[in-house]
Amino acid sequence: MEGDSQRASASWENGTLAPGEHLRSDRAESPLPGLVEGTEPGAGQKSAMFVHAQSFEDLTAEAEEEVQREAEINKSGESEEELKVLVGEKEPHSSDMTSESRTKEEDVTSEAWRSHRKHVFVLSDAGKPIYTRYGTEEALSSIMGVMMALVSVVEAEKNIIRSIQADGCKVVFLTKSPLVLVGVSRTCQSDKELLRELQYIYYQIVSLLTLTQLNNIFKNKQNYDLRRLLSGSEYLTDNLLTRLERDPGLLLSAVTCLPLASSTRDTVSSSLQAAKSKNLVFSILLAGDRLVTLLRKKDQFLHHIDLHLVFNLVGSSSSFREGEGWTPICLPKFNTAGFFHAHISYLEPASELCLILVSTDREDFFNMSDCKQRFMERLSKRSAYPALKEALKSPTYSVEQVGIPELRHFLYKSKSSGLYTSPEFPDVYKSDCEQERLMGLYQDLHSSLHHPTRPLRYVYRCGETENLLAWVTSGFELYLCFSPLGTKALAVAAVTKLLKWIRKEEDRLFILSPLTY
Amino acid sequence: MQVLGLGSVSPRMASGMQEKQFTASLLNFFVYNPTFGPREGEEEKKILFYHPSEVEKNEKIRNVGLCEAIVQFTRTFCPTKPAKSLHTQKNRQFFFEPEDNFWMVMVVRNPMIEKPNKDGKPPTQEYQEEEILDTVYGAVVKECYSMYKLFNGTFGRAVEAGGAELLIQKLEKFFYRYLQTLHLQSCDLLDVFGGISFFPLDKMTYLKIQSFVNRVEESLSLIKYTAFLYNDQLIWSGLEQDDMRILYKYLTTSLFPRHSEPELAGRDSPLRPEVAGNLLHYGRFLTGPTNLKDPEAKFRFPKIFVSTEDGYEELHLIVYKAMSAAACFMISASVELTRDFCEQLDALVGPQLTLLASDICEQFTVNRRISGPEKEPQFKFIYFNHMNLAEKSTIHMRKTASVCLTSVHPDLMKILGDINCDFARVDEDEEIIVKAMTDYWVVGKKSDQRELYVILNQKNANLIEVNEEVKRLCATQFNNIFFLD
Repeated sequence: MEGDSQRASASWENGTLAPGEHLRSDRAESPLPGLVEGTEPGAGQKSAMFVHAQSFEDLTAEAEEEVQREAEINKSGESEEELKVLVGEKEPHSSDMTSESRTKEEDVTSEAWRSHRKHVFVLSDAGKPIYTRYGTEEALSSIMGVMMALVSVVEAEKNIIRSIQADGCKVVFLTKSPLVLVGVSRTCQSDKELLRELQYIYYQIVSLLTLTQLNNIFKNKQNYDLRRLLSGSEYLTDNLLTRLERDPGLLLSAVTCLPLASSTRDTVSSSLQAAKSKNLVFSILLAGDRLVTLLRKKDQFLHHIDLHLVFNLVGSSSSFREGEGWTPICLPKFNTAGFFHAHISYLEPASELCLILVSTDREDFFNMSDCKQRFMERLSKRSAYPALKEALKSPTYSVEQVGIPELRHFLYKSKSSGLYTSPEFPDVYKSDCEQERLMGLYQDLHSSLHHPTRPLRYVYRCGETENLLAWVTSGFELYLCFSPLGTKALAVAAVTKLLKWIRKEEDRLFILSPLTY
Repeated sequence: MQVLGLGSVSPRMASGMQEKQFTASLLNFFVYNPTFGPREGEEEKKILFYHPSEVEKNEKIRNVGLCEAIVQFTRTFCPTKPAKSLHTQKNRQFFFEPEDNFWMVMVVRNPMIEKPNKDGKPPTQEYQEEEILDTVYGAVVKECYSMYKLFNGTFGRAVEAGGAELLIQKLEKFFYRYLQTLHLQSCDLLDVFGGISFFPLDKMTYLKIQSFVNRVEESLSLIKYTAFLYNDQLIWSGLEQDDMRILYKYLTTSLFPRHSEPELAGRDSPLRPEVAGNLLHYGRFLTGPTNLKDPEAKFRFPKIFVSTEDGYEELHLIVYKAMSAAACFMISASVELTRDFCEQLDALVGPQLTLLASDICEQFTVNRRISGPEKEPQFKFIYFNHMNLAEKSTIHMRKTASVCLTSVHPDLMKILGDINCDFARVDEDEEIIVKAMTDYWVVGKKSDQRELYVILNQKNANLIEVNEEVKRLCATQFNNIFFLD
């Protein structure tokens, strides 16, 4: 909890939906105001990453000594505040080294390291390592130096490096000053798919710091080692990368819902709607990775990328199970400049149901806690709650329910709602490896349909292991996977039948009547 | 969009302001060997050829340096498979290491639209980064090397014979002209295949040709290999497949087009080469002496290099043509070819080839009459067989020396290229059917080393009807060699 101590001194303006000029000027005075909030790294252990209600007042002076020492090391001219912040970041980092190195220690010259399916590297404009998926940043600093050199050489010609292609391997670059992201992939994914994944990683980092802060850090100290701020949060990036390989939602730019009777969902939604508060912008109720309901302030929309970042945050941290979490989070697609503050808690200790209340006010913890209380009171009085809990037992459905022979799996996205539905993976795709292979096939189809200059309406692909069909219209996107025995006639008939089935089930599978505050 | 000339510009009007569209064009082409100038300050020695040559020395060194760095960096992750291309906003660079440490690099500028700005500001350039297909231009670089090697042998051979100096001379001499013949904006899937178009023939006529080849080789025992073409299509070849593939490319895109005019000219036209009283046949040399009767005639033929079991051999290339039939005779370069030999060959081959040519022509006309008059082909398709390099396209009009015209929109050609890339990734039989935004259907089939691509303009057809159409095509044109559903 060392990091907590800084919160008191942080002069961070409350996150607002639209940052005014005053915000910017505030920030200019000190390069790192509010860092504490952004990266509260309570460090290393996932639980310490976030401030908990129990420890809300728990301020310690442990960092004092560090402050002194750090002040000597650092050049003068940096504000006291920043130093404190840095200390707060640094201390846990070092204490965390053992657990970190245990998982990441790998010989970066070994064949095993080389042959990982997908590497991701993040470095600063100055070529300083920030993140690597495999191995340690220290061991890879020279490789990252080369990456930066390549970026700069091409830049010197007023050009931008995009990718390097080799047989069975490609390197993709995304320059997002002050960061450079590099993906090295042995998969068949298109450059565009890989770029999309790097974008996600970029937003993940921004969500911890805000872009404004990120820019300020490097404006003030080009050579800054950002790992000091991000240490302890690497698992978020690690998990996000795994999600990108498995979760169709990130591919489709959509989220999926817990199948639920519409009456139940409506009751849950209205209970949540009743528990409002002045600064509450979004309320999200999740069941695992599935959305139960989402409420938002009128006129405010949550971007799917932001929502997936929230999913990733919740799904990656067991700490929220221990009590009410209160964490600053930047939703980069909403506003890269400011923090929101999220109250995150599970409805019951062992439940899958997690409530996320997003407020603009960093002092809003008790208000949010109260909102949750009111929601719970209201919900538990109604029959909807047991019905909801019952629905948790079948969070997904099998493709057999649709009743189409040879159909193994499908993805259906409604474009207007940004929601998708998909049955559970059948036995043939149960293993991680097979699941990732199928996702790879879907990604291929997705890339073909959404080619930047030669988009397609329709793709049918018939191979030795499965037959695939993808179809995009102005209203929906549909991806079907058939057994290799499926014929074209069957595929054509299946589309009609499936669309009928989805129409019939739509009030259970989708949120048809979203509410607002 | 019509196919445009090299790096050409087509103005188009948009909202009252004139935009300029630039097609893909060759920016740089260079050959280097990092071991030739390993020390600092010696970088220039690595560069064996650089186009355009007027580029400033430091820029050349910088560009070569970037390629070296890219190649080296990629080895970190793929020690065995080298980098093939670098994509940037403005261009794509293609790398090819045909011989150890010798790198060929081709830099192609992305197509671009230049939009004028108001108030005298410089125009905005919008690069179209997804227009160039790696497979197509990667194949073009490889072909550049194959063509160099056909006429010069390997890079290593030149270095052995005369050091880097000789190689530099040879590269300069060859590529100076060759690069001008590259028409990057009209390269497509056919360049990836680099196939050979075979002339369809009945058994009888085929046997006649075979016996002609045997007779000639018997009478003129100096001849090591023979190839026989009709109408720019191959009928018979004694060469290895890969050698024939590149020789075929040279003949059909360079040599034949250069000599086509005289034949098209009328009988009495002054353009027509002097047949000098020899009215027995229409035979003439396309390489070597233009007129045997000329006392000044030189009996020098181009030399080519073909592979043998233990390396390569150097050969004289004699191309002799009568009407639409062309025979290539290859003779060891160690033999000096004399007037005597050429007269002998002319006397023997001229009359026979003239006769054969008219036989084939007659046969061809008969066949065509049976299959109906020539019209716009019902199916637009490209077929390629990896085993014998046979290719067939009803999409391409006749290839000429300058441009290759296709009868479909370039975007559709690129979709064919995309499907081909998908096929190349997995080594199994596959079928891909797509519908483009323009509602054209494109079908790709890969089966047992064969690839077929069909474009159907049946906007309202559904998947099942499209499938039926393709089945019909396979039944009539390919004897049902595709087995997928």
